[in-house]
Parts: sequence; structure tokens; C-alpha cells
Amino acid sequence: MNLKHKATLMDSVEMGRALTRIAHEIIEQNKGAENLALVGIHTRGVPIAEHLANLIETFEGVTPQVGKLDITLYRDDLTEIALQPVVKKTEVPFDVEGMRIVLIDDVLYTGRTARAALDALIDMGRPAVIQYAVLVDRGHRELPIRADYVGKNMPTSKHEVIKVQLESIDGEEGVELMEVAR
Amino acid sequence: MRTIIKNAHLIDATKDYGNADLYLKDGNIEGTDLGGDVDETLDAGGNVLTPAFIDLHTHLREPGGEVKEDLKSGLAAAAAGGFGTVISMANTKPTVDEAGIVSELVAKAEAIDQARLRPSAALSHGLSGKTLTDFAALKAAGAVMITDDGIPVEDSHLMRRACEYARELGLVIQTHSEDPSLRQDGVMNEGVVSQRLGLPGNPASAEAIMIFRDCEIAAMTGARVHIAHVSSKRGMQVVEWFKEQGAPVTAEVTPHHLTLNDSVFEEFDPIYKVAPPLRTQEDVDYLLDAVNRGVVDSIGTDHAPHTRAEKDLDMLQAPFGIGNIEVSFPLLYTELVETGKLELSLLLKLLQTGPANVMNWDAPTLEPGKPADLTLLELKTAQKVDAKIFKSKAKFSPWDGQSLKGWPIMTFVAGKKVFEREGVLEPV
Amino acid sequence: MIKGSTPVTLADPAAEKAKDETQRKRKHLLDLADWTKEEVEALFNTADVMAQVMERTIKKVPALQGFTVGTLFFENSTRTKLSFERAARAQSADVMSFAAGASSLAKGESLKDTLRTIDAMQSDLYVVRHAVAGVPYQLTRWTDAAIVNAGDGRRAHPTQALLDAYTFSKNFADFDSFEGKKLAIVGDVMHSRVARSNIELWTKLGAEVTLCGPSTLLPRELEQFQNVTLTNSVYEAAEGAHTVMALRLQNERMGAGLLPSIAEYQARYQVTEEVMAYAHDNALIMHPGPMNRDVELSGTVADSGRSVIEKQVANGVPVRMAVLYTLLVGKK
Repeated sequence: MNLKHKATLMDSVEMGRALTRIAHEIIEQNKGAENLALVGIHTRGVPIAEHLANLIETFEGVTPQVGKLDITLYRDDLTEIALQPVVKKTEVPFDVEGMRIVLIDDVLYTGRTARAALDALIDMGRPAVIQYAVLVDRGHRELPIRADYVGKNMPTSKHEVIKVQLESIDGEEGVELMEVAR
Repeated sequence: MRTIIKNAHLIDATKDYGNADLYLKDGNIEGTDLGGDVDETLDAGGNVLTPAFIDLHTHLREPGGEVKEDLKSGLAAAAAGGFGTVISMANTKPTVDEAGIVSELVAKAEAIDQARLRPSAALSHGLSGKTLTDFAALKAAGAVMITDDGIPVEDSHLMRRACEYARELGLVIQTHSEDPSLRQDGVMNEGVVSQRLGLPGNPASAEAIMIFRDCEIAAMTGARVHIAHVSSKRGMQVVEWFKEQGAPVTAEVTPHHLTLNDSVFEEFDPIYKVAPPLRTQEDVDYLLDAVNRGVVDSIGTDHAPHTRAEKDLDMLQAPFGIGNIEVSFPLLYTELVETGKLELSLLLKLLQTGPANVMNWDAPTLEPGKPADLTLLELKTAQKVDAKIFKSKAKFSPWDGQSLKGWPIMTFVAGKKVFEREGVLEPV
Repeated sequence: MIKGSTPVTLADPAAEKAKDETQRKRKHLLDLADWTKEEVEALFNTADVMAQVMERTIKKVPALQGFTVGTLFFENSTRTKLSFERAARAQSADVMSFAAGASSLAKGESLKDTLRTIDAMQSDLYVVRHAVAGVPYQLTRWTDAAIVNAGDGRRAHPTQALLDAYTFSKNFADFDSFEGKKLAIVGDVMHSRVARSNIELWTKLGAEVTLCGPSTLLPRELEQFQNVTLTNSVYEAAEGAHTVMALRLQNERMGAGLLPSIAEYQARYQVTEEVMAYAHDNALIMHPGPMNRDVELSGTVADSGRSVIEKQVANGVPVRMAVLYTLLVGKK
């Protein structure tokens, strides 16, 4: 797939501000950080979840639990991907039973990843509440899924691709809008 | 009935006569370039015309195995392979161990009018290796050879008595020389490949030991013993040793043992399962070398057809045997003669005068007076083997799809055309 | 800057692509001959994830929903069959069990016909075990389904070798890699598909293998394999070994003249504490099972803390889950 850069939607600073706001919203909605866990969806949801946990700790003095969720075994779209999927480990080092869990991902698009994440999480136990936070919501839902916390709403066309880059993974930071070169 | 075969390149095991018109009269060869009226005119198109081959080792499966092959399909297949005479093996159901069965086979074959059938008869009743059959009665009924082929004769005492009696009657004994206790349930050659593939192996020593035993008894009794399908270097070395001492033994190799080695089992296809098994390339090379040094007396096909379903069983259950009579000459011509490993004249000798000498038959040549058993060979056009058009009932082959040259296009028995290839050879 | 504490690195894209393409093309698991080290490692990683699933209360994921896995065991086996069935069901695949043992399969009925009849029920994959080597290869010619070899004659038992190696990697103290490790296999090597598959796998991963047994059960041709040595001395075999694997001795071998008696075998080849004293300090003890207690292994050794025999059995499920997943996912 040949991608052509179209625009920078968020730079590093704007990303930081959005996540700060989301951290506050999470605390507000859940009336504190007790019994709270942030579960990042592999791959880019993970550093975002860790960052949010740090922010919440700064604001509330309480550190929420952090987990990493791999949803490969729950996906319904594997025939469409070209290569053998690499399954990664899920690390949820706490009991989800009765917990208030916020699933974290970088982009919300069709909603299928979120659905898979919900199934995976529920197979681990029975949380009290599951909420969903994303950095970017780009529209084009194929399932009735919505995010509780959104960094930025960005309507896009299906020919466009949103690339979220994080320091720890990509070496740089920003939300880029790309286009499939035709 | 007088026939002219025009424009033929006449070759037999003794001589290359060059291009000529060959005249046949009343079932015999009359001579070359004689002129005069003829009843039938055929054009050889410049192709090689040579005496039809003789196979001392064919399994026609009748009686009892007609689902795999019968006299009609087998003798037609032989003719299609350029063979004018075949000796059928006796390991049928029931075994050919009674004179009545021999007579029946002879009569039936005559009516079929394809390649000539010379039946062999079993050495022991039911191939049991226990009691001798009535050699004299069997010979009188038409049997030309005594053999328990398929099953080795385990009891040396029985083998000795069989040899003494056969010598008295002037019969040749053909042996399937393998020591069963060493062979065990081996399905392929025992060696590096079998150990890697995890298949039970049959070591070359099993053959060598039994060949020694059979040759020793031949030397001891003075009987003519023909060692069938020598497959290994070790086995061939034993034959050579005895021949040097003048023992009355002759040796045969098969087309598959001259062209395939045990690495074919990587595909795990029982189509290659044969007894004795395909051996290593070293064995193959030695056999060919022995052929070129004149140690080998004949090439016998050991045509052993089975049903496709049987050959699709697992490696242990699938029966031993390769059906090959229709492709034997093209296979040997393409892989050995064309590559310079074997002279055409020697190949013809091993298929014509060699087998005749083993049996003490009149040598088949193109001289006037000889029977007009002939085959016309097209040596120029390469064509893919198509097992689906085989005359044999076993319409599958390890060489299916392989491009070969040297196809027989016509075969005559006693001056009568018994086979003609349909259509024109399509070059590949 | 958004700092995650977990460093997440993406591998070199070209290598990832090359690896993925091999995996993509792989349809069957007949043996491990053409597997690369990287593929095995990827499979072990997947097995880790599967092991995690099996530790949860809900031991199920929907990964293979809609797929049908058929088990076709011409040779009886309880454990391996159940292990595969569990591995399929845990991923929400449907399982069809064909009892093709001696009773329902008339001797002489062609494999092809048996398979064609069964194939009418359209499994996506067959797990096959047969007493004769090569049958899984033959079956691939007659069906579009994938074939996983659960043991063919004495030739191969790839999932057993995978779970053996996996168990080693999970239980050997301070395990970092297979390079330079030594596996000693003791017993009836000649008739063992477990031995052959383990030889194939461990040498591929960089380990050395020593085969030990009486000469009648230790074919010299096995020396042709790279990094394999043969010995008739169980002490020499154990010397420095990181794992000692004992193979099952079958009673039929005595009858067939391959071995004088069990007593002879016990005296010369049993893996005892004394033998293990020669091995590496942290050496593990393995056995593919079922074990003849006090024949191949002394009772003490079998029950010792170094024995991972039960873990081998337990690891069979996640490893087989990983195999089924790798071969089937995305293939519908």
C-alpha cells in the first residue's frame, strides 16, 4: 500500500493536551481512581494507557492498574489481512471481576477492534463497568460502538488512513493523515 | 501370405543390415530386397525394424488376478511394448502347478493372437516351498521354465532336488533370490534413505545371500539357474564370482532397477514399491556397468500390474510390483542409449538373443527362415507417456507424463501384425 | 511526550514479511523438515498466548470459529487425540472424530476411498495418525483439507517434538536459547517417530543430539543427520546433557529378537540417578509416554523434581492450539 502524507492532524503537544483532558474525564466519570484499571489494546493502545495511568496518578495520587490486551484471537477480519497474524501476550495482572475498566486504543474506526476487545475482556471475568477511550475517532462505524472518551473527532474518507505515531514505538510523535496513492 | 515391409532400417543383435525392404512369407522371414508379388505392403518409413523382444519375466495375473491383468490385456500390452514372446509367471490363483492349468493358458493365448505366451510353472505346489510339482507333466503341457517367482524357495534341500530334476528334463529354473528372514517386512531398500523416512528396510545382503545359495546349488547340481531381477551391487558381485568359475547361472536385470533409485520414496508413493526393492544409485551404476561388461544375460521386465486402489494403500499394505511392459524399451532407450550409457546393439541383444540363449531357444535374428516376430521402433520422436492409453489394465505408471523416445509402432508375430500404434507420435 | 514503560519494537519489516509469507504458504504439518528456526520461535510465542488462555476460567477463544477439524486416527491413541480435540475446541472449532481404527476400516479398503467418504463432510483440517510412514503425505494428494501428522509409523510426530522442545524452553533454568544445548535420547530409537522428529527439530534450533541404545535398536545410518552422535553407553549419552529423554520400550521388540530381555535393557540403558549424575546440573528428564515405570526410567528419576513428563502432556494442548491456529487462521 502506497501512502501519501496529506496533513498533520495533531502534533506532540496537542496529543499531550488531549490525553491530559481525557485523564481528567476518566477521573470525573469514575468518581476517582479506586477500583480503576486501564487496559491498552495492542499495539499503540498500550503506551497510551501507561501514559494515562501516569497522569491519573499525578492528579489523584492513586495509580490505576494497567493491563495489555491482545485481541488477535478475537478478530473477525483475519481473512482480509494478507499475512500470518502475530499473536502477542495479553498481560492483565489483576482480576477483572468487579473492576471499572477503561479500554484504551489509538484510533476508533469500524468498531470491530473494540468489539473483539470487549469479548476478550469478558472472557476473563465480569467487570463492573467497561468504558472506552480513544485518541482519535475517525467515523465509519460498522457496529453500534461508541467511545466514552475521545481525544479528537476527525471525519475521514475511506481512502484515507490515520497514522498515530508514538515515541516509544515509532520514534516520533503525532497524528498524521495519509492518503492511499492511486 | 507374402508381405513386404518397405523402407526399413534392419538391425538385429548381430548386425546392422542398413536400409532395405524385408519380405515375409507364411509367418517367416523370407529375405531382403527380393522383389515379386506380395499380398500385403507396409511402409516402415525408414524406422528401425528388429526382432520382437523376448521377456522371460512377466506377470499376466491369470488365473485369479484378472482384475489386475489377464492374458488378453497382458499379451496386447506386451505387443505394444515391442515384445513378441513372454514367459508368464506362475504365482497366480490358483498357482500354475498342474498340467491342466498350463494347457488352458496355452490354448487361451493362442486364440488371443497377440504376443506369444510361453507359460512357466511353479516349482512347488501352491508356491509353498514344500513339495515339488510334476515338472515333466508341466513341460509336456507347454511349460518352458520352472519358477516360484514372487516367493523365495527357503528350503535349500528342496531347491537342490528341484535343480537336479530340472536338469534331467532340460528345464531352466528362475529364482526369486531373497532371504526372507533378513528381508522381513522391508518395503524399500534398507539404507540411509529408509532410516530417514522411517520405513522398514530390506537390505541388499538379503539378496546377496540367497543369490549365493542359488548359484551354489546350480554349481553343485549342474542345473541351469536364471537369477531374476538382480537389484544390487552385492548381488551382482556374487553372480560374477560364480560365473567366473563356470557355474551354469544366468542373470537378469529389470528396466526399473537400471533407471530408478530409492530416493523416489521421498514422495511416499507405493507405486515404486517392488521386490526386490529399488536400491541406491551406487547399485544402479554397478548394474549398468555389469551389463556393459557382459555379465548380465537378459533384461526382463518383471511387469507386475496391480489395481490403482491397491497401490493407493499405505506403504506396508500396498502390494509389490510395477507395471512397465509398454514403456520398458522407450525407457531404456531414452535414459541409457540416448545418454550414451548403453549401446543400442547391446540393448537389443539383452532383449533378443540374450533371453533366447538363457532358454536354449533359437536366436531371433533377421536371417531368412527365422520366424517373422518383429517390432518396428520409432527412435526419433519424443512423446509423453500416457498411461491412460495403455493396453494393460494397470493404466497408471511411475513414468506417466515423462517424455520418452523409442516407441514401438508396429509388432508382428509369425508375420501377422498384432499391434499398431494409433495416431501419429506427437512430438513433445 | 507519551512515554510507555514497555519498549515495543517492530521487527525489521522485510524479515517480518519474509517470515509471514512462509507461514502464509504453509498448508500442512507433515514433519518439521522445512520449518525455519524463526517459524518455530513464532509458534512457541503463539503457544505462550494459548497457554495463557488455558489458564483462564473461560478456556476458549473464538479464533477458529467456523472451522471444522477432523481427527482421523488409524492407530489408537487416547492422549494425543484428546489433546488435539481440546486444542481445536478451545479455539471454538468444531471437531469430528472418525474412528478409522481396525474395526471400522476393513483391511484393504483404500486410504483414498476412506478419505473421500469422510471428506464429504468437509473438514478444513485432518489430524492423522497411522501405523505406516508416509500416509499423511499420501492423504495430501486426495483432499483439499490441511493435514496435520499426529504420528506416522516410525517416521515423524512433529507436534510431540514441538511440545518437547517447548517444555524444555519453559522449564530449563535460565533458558535463553537452544544453541549449544545437548539432548540425549535413550531407548528404542530405531522404531521411534518421537526420536526422529526431535532430532529434526532440536538440531534445527542449534542443539546437539546424542542417540543411545543397544546396537540392534540404533541404526548407524542415523549418523547422517548433522549434529547427531550415536553411543551405546548411557553414561556417555548423559554426559553434559541438558535434557535426557527416555523412549518407551515395547514388549514386541523382545519377541522379534531385537533385545534379549527387559532385564538386559534395565541393566544397561535405564536412566537412573546414577546416570543423571553425569548430566548437566539443571538437566531435565522427559518421556513421551506412556512410561514403563522402572524400565526406561527408574521410579526415583521419574518422580524427581527434574522430571517434566507431566508438563510435556500439559503443554501438548497450547502447542497444538498454536499449530492449528497457525495453519488455519485466515484460510476461510
